[in-house]
Amino acid sequence: MTSPHVLWIDDPAAPGSRLLGGKFGSLAEMTEAGFAVPPGFGITTTAYRHFLEAAGLADRARQVREQAATADLATVSALSAGFTAEIEAAPLPADLEEAVRGAYAELERRTGIEALPVAVRSSGESEDLAGASFAGQYDTYLWVRGADEVLTYLRKCWAGMFGTAVLTYRPDGGASVVTADHGICVGVQQMVDARSAGVMFTLDPVTGDRSKVVIEGCWGLGEGVVKGDITPTRYVVDKVTFEVVTRALSRQEVQYRFDPSTKAVGMVPVHPDRCDAPCLEDEHIDQLAQLAKRIERHRGAPQDIEWAISEAGDVHVLQVRPETVWSQRRPEAPILEKKSAVDHVLMRFSGGKLATKAGS
Amino acid sequence: MTVTNENPSGAGQDDAARFTSPFDIEAPAGAEGWESLYPYYALLSEDRRARDDGKFWFFDGMHNPEPLYPFDTIMTENWWVAVSQMSTRVWPVPPALGIDHRIINGYLYVSPNAVTDPEEIARRAEVFGVRAGHYYGNWDEIYDKWEVKAKDCIERLKAIDFAPLPDMEPESSVFEHTGTYSSYRLLTSYGDLIHNLFEMGSYHFEMLNLGYGAYLTFREFCQQAFPGITDQTVASMVSGIDILLFRPDDEVRKLAKLAVELDLAEVITSHEDPHAALAAIGAHASGEQWLAAFEQAKEPWFWFSTGAGYTHSDRAWIDDLRLPFTAMRGYIEALTRGEDIRRPLDAILAERTRVTGEYRSYLPSDEDREAFDGLVEIARKVFPFVENHNFYVEHWHHSLFWSKVRQLGEVFVAHNFFDDHEDIFFLHRNEVYSALYDLIIGWATGTEARGVTYWRPEIARRRAIRETLSTWSPPPALGVPPEEITEPLTVMLWGITPESVQEWLGVGADGEGSGVLRGVAASPGKVTGRARVITDPEQIHEVEQGDILICRITAPSWAPVFSKLGAAVSDVGGIMAHTAIVSREYGLPAVVGTGFATITIKTGQLVEVDGNQGTVRILEEAEK
Repeated sequence: MTSPHVLWIDDPAAPGSRLLGGKFGSLAEMTEAGFAVPPGFGITTTAYRHFLEAAGLADRARQVREQAATADLATVSALSAGFTAEIEAAPLPADLEEAVRGAYAELERRTGIEALPVAVRSSGESEDLAGASFAGQYDTYLWVRGADEVLTYLRKCWAGMFGTAVLTYRPDGGASVVTADHGICVGVQQMVDARSAGVMFTLDPVTGDRSKVVIEGCWGLGEGVVKGDITPTRYVVDKVTFEVVTRALSRQEVQYRFDPSTKAVGMVPVHPDRCDAPCLEDEHIDQLAQLAKRIERHRGAPQDIEWAISEAGDVHVLQVRPETVWSQRRPEAPILEKKSAVDHVLMRFSGGKLATKAGS
Repeated sequence: MTVTNENPSGAGQDDAARFTSPFDIEAPAGAEGWESLYPYYALLSEDRRARDDGKFWFFDGMHNPEPLYPFDTIMTENWWVAVSQMSTRVWPVPPALGIDHRIINGYLYVSPNAVTDPEEIARRAEVFGVRAGHYYGNWDEIYDKWEVKAKDCIERLKAIDFAPLPDMEPESSVFEHTGTYSSYRLLTSYGDLIHNLFEMGSYHFEMLNLGYGAYLTFREFCQQAFPGITDQTVASMVSGIDILLFRPDDEVRKLAKLAVELDLAEVITSHEDPHAALAAIGAHASGEQWLAAFEQAKEPWFWFSTGAGYTHSDRAWIDDLRLPFTAMRGYIEALTRGEDIRRPLDAILAERTRVTGEYRSYLPSDEDREAFDGLVEIARKVFPFVENHNFYVEHWHHSLFWSKVRQLGEVFVAHNFFDDHEDIFFLHRNEVYSALYDLIIGWATGTEARGVTYWRPEIARRRAIRETLSTWSPPPALGVPPEEITEPLTVMLWGITPESVQEWLGVGADGEGSGVLRGVAASPGKVTGRARVITDPEQIHEVEQGDILICRITAPSWAPVFSKLGAAVSDVGGIMAHTAIVSREYGLPAVVGTGFATITIKTGQLVEVDGNQGTVRILEEAEK
């Protein structure tokens, strides 16, 4: 089933392939390493470029990006609106459409579920750039069912590359990230109907302490945690001993879940029994922290990970990204001054402190 | 040099943030006159009110959970000087002087003195750097010599012997022209006994504060680098695996194994009473070999106190074999089920290496790793002393010491002063010297000694007072809490921190009835079970499978009952207290330093102990 336009995440060629973009390339790597990643395929960066060329939009894309790099916000918004409309209206090359339909049918076969609900999400080539996670800037569409819908949201993801937010994303103050001609892959993956979900970091994002895993979770899908409109329950776990150092529970009355009445993902009430209950069992906290540690080890650097736990209690990895803040910055040093161990001890006896924070 | 932490403003300014004045504590009805049991210098007095009222006094339930017996003040008076002189005069510790003592309603309250004048601290720091630096620089060598000194001191204690005075002085005194006689030897032996205690008491603190200081520095580094790291994890990185405190239990395991090999398992498990068991073993064909091994293990490993070792009521295994035999039966049963009862030393060591290596790898820079390596190294260097001194001092030496005092008690019984050798503990050590002289006068003159009619009613009076005092619950703290606590022993051993002081203040005000106690999370895990409140070491035999032990403080020799416990909770103690060390070893959740557990919790209540968070929750009342 594999064509240059579709690459399955469990394909031997998938791990680390540029064709899958950052997010999906990472998931392919996780799949290969045996982590529980929901099955799926990427509609590759080649497919994206093929589409732009075939629709005669490739040159326009370059121009839009260049203009946006120096324009004010109002101009960028107008540019964005015009070009995204063009993308959504442009015809799809027949070979590409066929490949996508075929892959979706194959996913239905693999899971044994007809009209399988899938998540459709962008996976940019630029995501691996240090200091530029494009966090929250790329699109994700949940509970997409049927090949027609997949094709619709595929185009929306492509169009999203030219959204105002992406065109103005300049974490370093410069425009180099925006003007570069980055491709995009669109991932299609089986939905996990999450009982609870969220994100976790393999370090403490506040202090940079690498001996911790910080887990933020909520009832239902993890969208609320990612978007920030649900206050998550927060656990800080020691990465060496797996003791739970902090538990900050949060009452939750609504959750993101598939709503059968609207046939879409939306805010629905949390069952009254669950509102005040922690969204994770101790056993899950432990599993997640162990998982985070294994992923970090496998990837060789701190990561930020999206996870979900199904009603059956299985833990799934939905997304893995390199952590981008503390890879650029150093946490506060535990010592103020370099000196011998004995001198540190002597100083401590004299009422001195090792560092400004300690004991205060 | 003077104490500079007087707190003249403390009392008046902020009454809400102070504890009850020690001067407002009243004697419980029936205990009037308790002061006469103790020396004048250990009591509160009007003449020193101005200073004592503004200080912070906390209850030392750690070492003295019960009202002090007059004789037992030898231990508290020893460290009153021995701990204090190290900080004040020997090192000196720059911001800390000694720890003052007062006896209130029979209970020991202590108060650390601080130096606050920056110039004085700087002056002391200069001397301290040279002296403490010398000890750290030569630690292993000094510790080797320390062990030699300690063992020599114990050998000399063993040689001290008390016997009733003879009807007629032996011939040898005459024909060898000794010129001094049994009376003089009795008096000087008593002097030797007391000085021997003070000698070991001084060794006790020769290296201890420096050891704790090095450890605290490492702990502070870890707390800074890994916020939220638990105390037990820090301790696990430096704690030894072959420390002497585990040796008595290891010996019991070996004896259990030998019993199984020699087909003595059933002989031992079928006898509840240790002496009956020993007799049955003696009658068995292979009993002799086992008894030889048993005798060998006893010396010195059964000189293991069932308490903190500080009080005479903490009996050693050697004179109360129930604890080691209970443990042995448990081990024999485990062995017959086919379990491996050896402590998994390789696994423990591998885990220590893993934990240390992983934290190290999570540090931000090579410079930090270098500092970490240095601090781990120095903490590990000092830790054998910190962990092992307990066995030499409290267990081996002090247990032997108490047995010698009992032998002297027998002398008084033989001379008709007392009915029971235990009565000697109702006399202060200086009163014993007087009583001994009284006894000698009677022996020398042929007149009935004054003590023959004096001491029995006096001891009865004192016993009644002490019994009344033991029903009184000492509050954890009195006086005005300090702004800062810098004295390392205060923090490490008693678990007293600004947070615990605040907690106690809170509970004293309105916390009663909330059903939640907070303390130091000393050993991880969460367990729910029925509470068993133990206020007297004798009650330890009442512990049943799955009980939550609620005590003022535990002792390592309670270890055998730890295998029955669900969790342990103590009123006092920090992360290096016995309860904490043993609980970690046994994998039991433990919360120490709760202040009020023995007062708040009743035997039979259902309680939840959270050793991760340091909380104890009363879930429901005792079942009828």
